[in-house]
Amino acid sequence: MTMRTYRKALIGAALLVGTMMTPAFAQMKTITGGFDVGPGGLQGNFNPMTAPAGYTWLSTYFEPLVTYDAGLTKLVPALAASWEISQDKLSYTFKLAEESWHDGQKFTAADVKFTIELNKNPKTASLLSARLSAVDSVEVKDPRTVVVKLSRPDNALIVSLTKMMILPAHALAAIAPEDMAKNAMWSTKPIGTGPFKFVRYETDRFVELAANETYRGGKPKVDRLINRYFANAAAAISALRAGEIQFTYIESDDVPTFKGNKDYTIIEGASYVANYIGFNNQVPLWNDIRVRQAVMHAIDRNTIIDSLYKGAAKKADCGYVEGSLIPKGLDEYAYDPAKATKLLKEAGWDKINGTKPISWITYYNNPLTANVMAAVQSMLAQVGINVVPRALDSAGYNGIVMSRTPNPADFPLVYAGLQNGPDPGTLNLGLNESQIPPVGQNFLQIKLPELNAALNAAVAETDQAKATTKYQDVCAVMNKTLPWGTMWVANRYGVASVKLKDFVWTPAPGGGPFAATPEKWSIAP
Amino acid sequence: MLGFYLKRLAAGLMMLIALSIMVFVLLRLAPGDPIDAYLNPLAPLSQVEMDALRQRLGLDQPWPVQYLAWLRAALGGDLGYSIDRAGVRVLPLLVERTGPTLLLMLTGLAMAIVLGIAAGVVGAVKRNSAIDVGLGVLAFLVISTPAFLKALLGLYVFAVVLRWAPSGGMLTPGAPFSLTDLLAHLTLPASLLALVYSALFMRYMRSSMIEVLNQDYLRTARAKGVGEFAVIVRHALRNAILPVITLIGSTIGIAIGGAIFIESVFDWPGMGLLMVKAVETRDYPVIMGATLLIGVGVILVNLLTDLAYAVVDPRIQVS
Amino acid sequence: MSADTPMAAGAATSRSRGRSPLQRALGRFFRNGAAIAGLLILVPVLLAVLTYPFWWRYAPNSIDLRALNSGPTAAHWLGTDGVGRDTLARLLQGGRISLLIASVSVAISLLIGFLVGAIAAFGGRVLDGTIMRFVDLAMTLPPVILLLVLASITGTGILPTIFVISLLSWPVLSRMVRARLLELRERDFVVASRGFGAGLGHLLFRHALPNSLDILVVYATVQFANAILLEAGLSFLGMGIVPPEASWGNMLRAARSTVVLELHPSQWMPAGAALVATVLAINFIGDGLRDAFDPRTDLK
Repeated sequence: MTMRTYRKALIGAALLVGTMMTPAFAQMKTITGGFDVGPGGLQGNFNPMTAPAGYTWLSTYFEPLVTYDAGLTKLVPALAASWEISQDKLSYTFKLAEESWHDGQKFTAADVKFTIELNKNPKTASLLSARLSAVDSVEVKDPRTVVVKLSRPDNALIVSLTKMMILPAHALAAIAPEDMAKNAMWSTKPIGTGPFKFVRYETDRFVELAANETYRGGKPKVDRLINRYFANAAAAISALRAGEIQFTYIESDDVPTFKGNKDYTIIEGASYVANYIGFNNQVPLWNDIRVRQAVMHAIDRNTIIDSLYKGAAKKADCGYVEGSLIPKGLDEYAYDPAKATKLLKEAGWDKINGTKPISWITYYNNPLTANVMAAVQSMLAQVGINVVPRALDSAGYNGIVMSRTPNPADFPLVYAGLQNGPDPGTLNLGLNESQIPPVGQNFLQIKLPELNAALNAAVAETDQAKATTKYQDVCAVMNKTLPWGTMWVANRYGVASVKLKDFVWTPAPGGGPFAATPEKWSIAP
Repeated sequence: MLGFYLKRLAAGLMMLIALSIMVFVLLRLAPGDPIDAYLNPLAPLSQVEMDALRQRLGLDQPWPVQYLAWLRAALGGDLGYSIDRAGVRVLPLLVERTGPTLLLMLTGLAMAIVLGIAAGVVGAVKRNSAIDVGLGVLAFLVISTPAFLKALLGLYVFAVVLRWAPSGGMLTPGAPFSLTDLLAHLTLPASLLALVYSALFMRYMRSSMIEVLNQDYLRTARAKGVGEFAVIVRHALRNAILPVITLIGSTIGIAIGGAIFIESVFDWPGMGLLMVKAVETRDYPVIMGATLLIGVGVILVNLLTDLAYAVVDPRIQVS
Repeated sequence: MSADTPMAAGAATSRSRGRSPLQRALGRFFRNGAAIAGLLILVPVLLAVLTYPFWWRYAPNSIDLRALNSGPTAAHWLGTDGVGRDTLARLLQGGRISLLIASVSVAISLLIGFLVGAIAAFGGRVLDGTIMRFVDLAMTLPPVILLLVLASITGTGILPTIFVISLLSWPVLSRMVRARLLELRERDFVVASRGFGAGLGHLLFRHALPNSLDILVVYATVQFANAILLEAGLSFLGMGIVPPEASWGNMLRAARSTVVLELHPSQWMPAGAALVATVLAINFIGDGLRDAFDPRTDLK
């Protein structure tokens, strides 16, 4: 047992004989929310470099250079007050905003250079490592200007930068890159530039932030922001209804509980997340494309969308649902169990697996998804594929699929989602062979040369109009080769108490980041 | 006298060793590579480093040797890393969760003892009256309802609908510590936990009390003109309560079990919640660490009750 | 009169009253109102659960995406769940699963508990000591903790759940059996049988079994109720029976969602009611049996 633990226990004991609530606390304006509830959140992760989700919360105290607006339609300034892209698309010049770190030091171009180089280094386990591979060098022109030079045009770069939280060089430079990921500093004294400052993390209970009074966007309207952790979404909803928190993500089938209730505002938005059935290419079950086709034909997606999602989802025949990205002549994989049975027979499914149970894991740990998976399970059972759904929480799921030494038998099949917008290039992260972990997120080990080529071409295309056609090619290839069984893109929901004023939230994939302007949030007594 | 204590201590020690063997075997039976428990999931190691670690942990040795190495590490406080939480060691995690669980359990148990003994006495004194029968049926109903169902309904009624109590957690997040806040969070889950055991204690207390009330010395006391209330409190209760007190020690295990469900429904940051989550994510180092710690706790409590009971009632040593 | 008739232990007292202890126990049992009420609940539940495929039109796992979350209707008496499965069919199938798990695990733990207890009692000091230390150890860990640990290793499903519950339940019984048989061991007829070279099998089944019958019966009922609760608890935590297979525990798990708890009570209340009623009934019966087998009851 370490000294720290002893001390903690002692402090705990001392607190037990503690005092009454101080009046100062009662006067403080506090917003408490379940900011990490749902698939866009990731409780317990504090390192923005290794965060596949959780940006709603992270971006209250860290900031990227550029970010999306709250409608996720266009890029807007964050720590970069403005930026320019050269004609040849090889040079990005960022003019930086005036801001200080939470510890009082000045934020400068050197911090940006440090952050980009840090994220590019695979030793830090940064999820952006592969996405920054086009970056050739970062030059500090002056303390307020930084130039990023690329070795080849990369359209997705600016979008990747929205996910890159700028980190303080003065505080982190001494930490070796390989020690970065596990460093305790992330959850004890992280230093950002955002409207709120980190105060403390009570393990598995909550994270507390305090207003950054000198924030360039103005002094925040509330004194404190608290992100409460919940073991499940049901507990978060109970807390919301008990008036203990003012905001949480909810599932679409929880919407009726709040509909028509004057005390709550329901926030609805497109998720920009393509939900798919992911075939793990390291198990010998799915190699035959006829098996994957059979899965598609066996599932009645239209009925699931109509009934379980009550229409609040769009059927997807490739990774995209955005009209401009959909080419003509896609196979719609209509519901046809007879055809599915036939395809399986031709592929020799009896010999490949037969009716042995196949574990089907997901991180969507909620009743709606459980119902959807039960429906799919029963549809697949009809054609002779026996899948067994198992819902984990995000951390548990990531622990399995993104493990340092993944065991494919633990996840032969997944039900997951991947961001497909606002920038269509984000699909590259999960589908391109070059993104196989540890550098990227292609944990299903998808290796389809035709798809790699289509994705590479689309991501490198600098002309907007041409890029659209190239993404159509990606869609066509996905539709034909079925790297996953794409299902649909569903709407997502959050509920906020009407006490919150100027609260901005949108169900962005991975929780954002987007310009949520937390400094403007306020709460009525 | 001393011999008795030494014998009990030796037995307790044997139990601890046996427990550690059991946990070790379970840990090895669990799927996955045992070395995972000792790797920080966020700090990638090279193959060479892994092999070195494997050797240091003795994972290339036969099981008995591995067991000794594991035991040595465990005794030194090294239970490995949580697989699920990046870079978090198991022991500090467990230590942090022990307090809340003890608080919940002991409060629940205390409430149960008071409630159960009172109800038991009433039932015994007013035997076969409407109150007695009503209490009896109620106790059966409480015992027959799963703990989680009681917790769910209690949460819904008292926290969501009536808003008398917070919906979960142990303290208001971010608020400075205050006893009132703690009590507000503690009352509902502790009462629900108490419900089960009070039913159990009531039934034991009632039958123990009935037996005592039938004894000759009470008749003598009554005959001597001692008031009925005094008879019950001063004479009967004192004698009837002894067997019930011994019951308390042996129900600690059940109380931990019940606490798991309550913690899980009320998001109580204790060992139970930790364990349920660890089982969900197959975080074996945490599961086995918690099992070891709970087992050690129960053995120690049993040992203490044994010894304490021997002090109170010297007859024990003879048998 | 041979000394090793099945009722040997109580033979002397029973003859004096002209009825066997078993008959007297049954007599006492049937005079117990609560126990009769228990039987009156349990028997219809058992019948319904066993026969439902013959009289109920829906299968428990067939989904109907056009009839989600329906309340009770003429077609679906108890409504449907979130994927349009018939709640009554799931309730009955869930009952089957819950009761199947309970009865199989009770049978297994009866067998293990009896054998271990009996072997410890008859097997001599060393064997007895070893076995009993092992039993102590198995009883040290809180049952639910052990349940979770085992479940994390075995995984979910019917067989693992049965395995886990039965593995957990026998130590208490073996202690009780041993205690009873230790009293018996030194009795004349056992010593005599041994003297005549009776084998262990003979000892176990001609002496040990009949003499611990009351313990076994009472234990079986109590444990049956326990097993139902344990299964429900495990499934509630998502570690016992997982959907689509129905069990009372996993039907109640749905009530974790406030929507289901509040807006669709027909999805969880029947399972809750069935579970509580069944366990209550079994507990009444168990209590009745305990009193019936306890000779002191008559004296009270």
